[in-house]
Amino acid sequence: MSTTTRTTGGAIGASLDRIDGPRKVTGTAPYAYEHRVDNPLYLFPLRSEIVRGQVTGIDASAAEALPGVVVVVTHENAPQLADTGDRELAILQSGEVAFRNQYVGAVLAETFEAARHAAGLVEVSYAEEPHEAELREDGDLYTPEQLNAGFPTDTEEGDVEEAFSSAAVTLDGRYTTPMEHNNPMEPHTTVAVWKAGDLTLYESTQGAHPVQRTVAKIFGIDRNRARVVAPYVGGGFGSKGLPHANTILAALAAQMVEGRPVKFAVTRQQMFTGVGYRTPTIQKIRLGADSEGRLTAVTHDVIEQTSKIKEFAEQTAAVTRSMYATDNRRTTHRLAALDVPVPSWMRAPGEAPGMFALESAMDEMAEKCGLDPIEFRIRNEPEIDAETGLPYSSRNLVACLREGAERFGWRDRTPAPRSHQEGRWLVGNGVASATYPVFRLPGSRATIRYEGDDKYAVEFGAADVGTGAWTALTQISADAIGVGVDNIELRIGDTAFPFASVAGGSSGITAWGSAIFEAARVFRERHGDNPSEGDEVQARTPNNPETENYAMHAFGAFFVEARVDVDTCEVRVPRMTGVFAAGKIINAKTARSQFMGGMTMGLSMALHEESLVDGRFGHVINQDFAEYHIPTNADIGEMDISWIDEDDPYVNPMGSKGIGEIGIVGSAAAVANAVYNATGIRVRDLPITPDKLIQ
Amino acid sequence: MQFLQPHSWREALEARAAHPGARPIFGGTDVMVDLNFGRKRPETVIDLTRVPEIREWNREDGLLRIGAGVTYTRAITELGNLLPGLAMASRTVGSPQIRNRGTIGGNLGSASPAGDALPPLYASHAVIEVASTRGTRRIPVGQFIIGPKRNVLEPDELIIAFIMPEAEGPQQYAKIGTRNAMVIAVCSFGLALHPESRSVGACIGSAGPTPIQPRDAENFIEDVIEEHDLWESRAEIPASALDRFGVLASEAAMPIDDVRGSADYRRHAVGVLARRTLTWAWNEHRGVAG
Ligand SMILES: Cc1cc2nc3c(=O)[nH]c(=O)nc-3n(C[C@H](O)[C@H](O)[C@H](O)COP(=O)(O)OP(=O)(O)OC[C@H]3O[C@@H](n4cnc5c(N)ncnc54)[C@H](O)[C@@H]3O)c2cc1C
Repeated sequence: MSTTTRTTGGAIGASLDRIDGPRKVTGTAPYAYEHRVDNPLYLFPLRSEIVRGQVTGIDASAAEALPGVVVVVTHENAPQLADTGDRELAILQSGEVAFRNQYVGAVLAETFEAARHAAGLVEVSYAEEPHEAELREDGDLYTPEQLNAGFPTDTEEGDVEEAFSSAAVTLDGRYTTPMEHNNPMEPHTTVAVWKAGDLTLYESTQGAHPVQRTVAKIFGIDRNRARVVAPYVGGGFGSKGLPHANTILAALAAQMVEGRPVKFAVTRQQMFTGVGYRTPTIQKIRLGADSEGRLTAVTHDVIEQTSKIKEFAEQTAAVTRSMYATDNRRTTHRLAALDVPVPSWMRAPGEAPGMFALESAMDEMAEKCGLDPIEFRIRNEPEIDAETGLPYSSRNLVACLREGAERFGWRDRTPAPRSHQEGRWLVGNGVASATYPVFRLPGSRATIRYEGDDKYAVEFGAADVGTGAWTALTQISADAIGVGVDNIELRIGDTAFPFASVAGGSSGITAWGSAIFEAARVFRERHGDNPSEGDEVQARTPNNPETENYAMHAFGAFFVEARVDVDTCEVRVPRMTGVFAAGKIINAKTARSQFMGGMTMGLSMALHEESLVDGRFGHVINQDFAEYHIPTNADIGEMDISWIDEDDPYVNPMGSKGIGEIGIVGSAAAVANAVYNATGIRVRDLPITPDKLIQ
Repeated sequence: MQFLQPHSWREALEARAAHPGARPIFGGTDVMVDLNFGRKRPETVIDLTRVPEIREWNREDGLLRIGAGVTYTRAITELGNLLPGLAMASRTVGSPQIRNRGTIGGNLGSASPAGDALPPLYASHAVIEVASTRGTRRIPVGQFIIGPKRNVLEPDELIIAFIMPEAEGPQQYAKIGTRNAMVIAVCSFGLALHPESRSVGACIGSAGPTPIQPRDAENFIEDVIEEHDLWESRAEIPASALDRFGVLASEAAMPIDDVRGSADYRRHAVGVLARRTLTWAWNEHRGVAG
């Protein structure tokens, strides 16, 4: 019998240290590649040297003769997959090549070095066909049926053309964002082992169960014969949200050496092909306003790319459907299907590039209307969510803008561009808004079991990708069950536990936390306050009827000071302020890190990140960290991060809205707007490199 | 792959003579990247880190003779007062880890036009000492580096040291990168004032196939200084002359477009850096802060 006194909350909201912190800094938290397995083999992939065509011959004799080489896997000897419907994942089933650096085989060897050496000795010949690997505005475009996350492709309200012709002020802007690669610190890694028809994967993933379902289908086995283990993950930013071909390659190769584990770590350079990326975008935005600065028309037309072998349609203009009030609005998305790898999720897919364009355009329009950019946004604050016609469960964008202006010292800004110089530095300030929807993925289940000694086990398969989920979920469990955090034994990151949805779309806490609350409620209902050892319940994330009544979004505002060298045009960002209205903050410490990480990535998007493709050869040429820049510590100045106390009773039992992505949404625009204020030069094509600022 | 580890300079030269295709390695901060990227796969690697002679520096005939194996960190801590330009350049290299391992000899071995140690060597007319079992020769740095990633080292030769004068006047180094650390130069500029020989040494980095000494700019500014007797008077250099120095430097650059920056930007920025480094150095000469 338990004699614990029940607490009435207090764990949620505390600045608890990461409970996985000591394990990580002492190196005892096993990442996928580090799980101890007996007698492993190492995989090194063979990748196509052409962009499109057919493999016509493979000479692996030199490789096979090398000591330590066990097998060279190619489409000529690879096992057949049960399901080849997903052409990104149906690898080595034919000699067809659909993009440069696509997997055409792999070497398995006793050591990594032997595998890698042997891979260089395999001679592959090809019949090459013409290809198209660069996004062009004037290329062949088509209209996808729907967008990522189920958003409609196009929307139209009112009569935009009529509204433009009668608008007092209009703006017509073209904005572009480049291809970007997620590049988590831990590359994609898999350890795959088959034993008597059972597959085990130690996998670096954002979702153990989603991987389990995918591989079960592809290899034609029962779900419960595939186990995926992922207790610690070194980041993903979306690239590990969906399984990619590297996972299938490891599992397929392991089938040929039944019983022996196969280890495959994608190298940093290989991370620039085949594990997803953010599509480049070409975005046209038109705004019309009346003489008071109220938007009368908004259009946002997007061109982006997908792969010929699988569609991914980023929802770039979706933010524009609800961000500001207007009676006349149109959004469209058109895709170019190219001979390129499949684009995928990268932190805030859609919102991040879309808000760069929208919030840059809003800054331009504010100036045209003669209004302060904050005032201009407040004037266009909507009453309800235009996309659904529903009221917001809570919308505190205005509070974020006002609070941020106060903290940042916005009133000291000189509104005229290029009007403030300190020594050789042109100084400017910029603002932009942020938003991110509250996604609620269905199906997660949580088990709660009383294990005696005042300990409650809480189990489900969710992956902590480094965000702090281990800690936040412990806090939620403590409050849901009504005990202290020390009484909770959290077990996650394994399909041996109940189903958990992907750590993506900032949805994890909403989905899993709701399941925990539901399980705790049922547990107390069944077993009362004094359970016996072994008492257990399992419950599922319940439907939230309030989603029929309210639109649910998080909001935020960014303020940036940019300094631009008057002669060399180097850009530095000494300070950034971010204020968020994202519901209840579960853990102040880890939440701050999420916001800061998002803002840092926004700064990176603004100034640094750009994957450059050589169209002739079809691959990213700056495929390493010497040439694909992300900021260093020395590039990040003061980060002032805070949030509004928001009490939203409708979103979920915690009152939380999801915080993983909102930090990157709009922050790049705030940087661009600050650079404009500093220099008078509007850069509409990211990243903002010094050569774009030379007059 | 064979890994040789000589323990003396003699052994090193013999190993090099016996394995002409071998790749010397010191800090490995370039060699290991090349290996990892599969660019080069030498049969033999000769590790020079155990050779005491090339890690030393000393004074010789009034000049500094600095072993090829002196790291950036040591150039900053041990040579900072003697060679301020080289120390400034060293501070811009990579990260602390890279500065602890990377050497100036390695920078000469790689001969990248973006090598940060190179412009200060050009600006002070450094001489490179190379040796083989056949003997020793000394080559001015501008003749040692002959193309992008190409130097005149024979297959049996090693770099033992470089020789340059202790600073006799202010020195400057400026580098443009698209971020604040861990960055390959978009372009750079090294400048040294030599009041005793009444000359100005300058060098453009990362805007041509090799580091480039802008001779017209050097000659022009030396003439201006002489004409106005500025070495002694320590008066300001006229603004128009600073501008002209920048223009001449910029004209000497031979940049290309690449992923780090456009040729036009580089040409512009070289002019800015030239003017800026000369202004800073001259202000120091005048005893004026900033
Ligand atoms: C992360 C990172 C950041 C970097 N940042 C910078 C930077 O900011 N600026 C910059 O200039 N460089 C940078 N580099 C490049 C590198 O650090 C420098 O070029 C460094 O000077 C190389 O020195 P090393 O001792 O490591 O040379 P190694 O890699 O050991 O050798 C480099 C070359 O020189 C040859 N060599 C070495 N010693 C001798 C010798 N005694 N005789 C003959 N040949 C020899 C080698 O065979 C090889 O060809 C960076 C490298 C990395 C990995």
